Amino acid sequence: MHKLHIHINFKSLFLTFTLMIASTLLAFCLFELVPDNPANIALVYILALILAAQYTDGYLYGILFSMFSVVCVNYFFTYPFFILNFTLTGYPITFLIMFTITIITSTTTSHLKIQAKLLAEREEIVSKAEKEKMRANLLRAISHDLRTPLTSIIGESSSYFELTDTSASEERDDLVHRINDDAHWLLNMVENLLTVTRIQDTETAKVNKTLEVVEEIVSEAILRFKKRQPNAIVKAVIPEAFIMLPMDPLLIEQVIINLLDNAFVHSFSTREITLTITEDVPDFVSFHIRDYGKGIDPSLIESIFDGTGARSSDTPDAHRGMGIGLSICKTIIEAHNGNIFAKNYIDGAEFTFTLPKEQANDNLTS
Amino acid sequence: MSVKFSILIIEDEQHISDFMYNALNAHGYKATQAFSGKDGLALISSICPDITLLDLGLPDMDGLNIITEVRKWSSNPIIVISARTHEHEKVHALDLGADDYITKPFGTSELLARIRASLRHSNRLNSDTALYSRPYECDGLVIDFSRRVVLIDNMEIHLTQIEYKIVSYLAQSSGKVVTHSALMTHVWGPYSDTENNKILRVNMANIRRKMEVNPAEPKYIFTEVGVGYRLKEDTH
Repeated sequence: MHKLHIHINFKSLFLTFTLMIASTLLAFCLFELVPDNPANIALVYILALILAAQYTDGYLYGILFSMFSVVCVNYFFTYPFFILNFTLTGYPITFLIMFTITIITSTTTSHLKIQAKLLAEREEIVSKAEKEKMRANLLRAISHDLRTPLTSIIGESSSYFELTDTSASEERDDLVHRINDDAHWLLNMVENLLTVTRIQDTETAKVNKTLEVVEEIVSEAILRFKKRQPNAIVKAVIPEAFIMLPMDPLLIEQVIINLLDNAFVHSFSTREITLTITEDVPDFVSFHIRDYGKGIDPSLIESIFDGTGARSSDTPDAHRGMGIGLSICKTIIEAHNGNIFAKNYIDGAEFTFTLPKEQANDNLTS
Repeated sequence: MSVKFSILIIEDEQHISDFMYNALNAHGYKATQAFSGKDGLALISSICPDITLLDLGLPDMDGLNIITEVRKWSSNPIIVISARTHEHEKVHALDLGADDYITKPFGTSELLARIRASLRHSNRLNSDTALYSRPYECDGLVIDFSRRVVLIDNMEIHLTQIEYKIVSYLAQSSGKVVTHSALMTHVWGPYSDTENNKILRVNMANIRRKMEVNPAEPKYIFTEVGVGYRLKEDTH
């Protein structure tokens, strides 16, 4: 606090001067309008004094102001006018009261400021701790998700080595096939994690946007998804119009892949998945990923993007939970100023995300 | 074939290098391994491989420098091996003279397809130009360069001048990636604004609407996001 006293704070100085002029002007008005009640003038100065003490740093400006107001009252508003007369009865009491108000107000506000600062610091510590906790939770979830397929890869490959020459070739193929499956799953997991690192700053969630043609992104996403899930049937319906959107193409591709994968794995259905692109919301383009499976558990639908829900115990292949995948989708879409939500139909589930068109985006940034 | 094509693999990861080495030898190529950029450069000038597979993330030197160095005296194809997220690195490598790239992780069939496509185009350059005038054919799509016609299942597709220029250019490098800037320069000339390729994207969208049954699930023209386009490999 000492530093504040030594350094002349121009903002405080300016404020004090403004208050001095304003209060004196107001006092003059009152003096002319209601000359019978001199108490008003004193009250105006006291009010200004409280303000000065509250909105300046340290005690200096408050004391300065209290001296100024005592002199003003004496000079302008007490008989004899425009003459300084310090011999008036009760004058030291007035000065003392003004001075006490200054000290009390300044002390209280300084105190409040310090407390507010402490509170902000504490909040920062708490939010930091929360972030640490989230990070730890994420790491735990990832490690769990990575360990399960790795365990099965190790198990499957060692049983492959233990196969005897007489073993059927289907058995060999089956094992290698499962190793391949697990490896692909791991790859998708890692790519998801890598996409998160592309969102450079998680505070402001900024992404590198370029103008991309929607159908190009969709087609590449479907292609990459099919490589991973050759048995899945995807039907894409895109508008006839040519749409370009500002986005980080690899991130949006990852979102589409995650949602397709989610629809394929969690619908427990072999029917097709449809990906429809519509322009029904003004200034936005919507991507709908619809499956015809068992739908989303209604108790999970609220928290499905939080990264906690999807690993329910009734899922037979619990390690294929898309908890992280969906929460990554949400992070990516929100970083693009878009929206993502899920809903159930009688015969399946639909995940929708929206991305703002160029103009809407400009409005947000400018 | 009587003489095997030689392929140099410059890759520092032993496992990945071995996987490619075994796959290539099993498919009738003569593969050689280099585990550092320095060894790679030395081997390129001593054995003059028909094709070089180059990993960009080498410990001793930047893979991009190898491309620049080799391109000073050789036009033999270089296929870059790169991570998926590094699209700028890929574009840079292609601009410096790499022929194509393959994204980690990849399977044997993908690797062999890339090598086939690059070898085909380097052979065309070496042999007489008559090969160039042979029509492109793949899954019902025929592009006849001498008659300037594009047919799908024997039905003529009506393309504009610009659209035909784009498609025929892609067809001449079929199976290989063609960057946005290369296409812009070829179609709109060397002074075109290659940074702003919206005109190319619009033309491409129109081509897709004419040639593909469903533009979102293309059969022929594939997008390499952030890099360019690739026309399905000629089946000849």
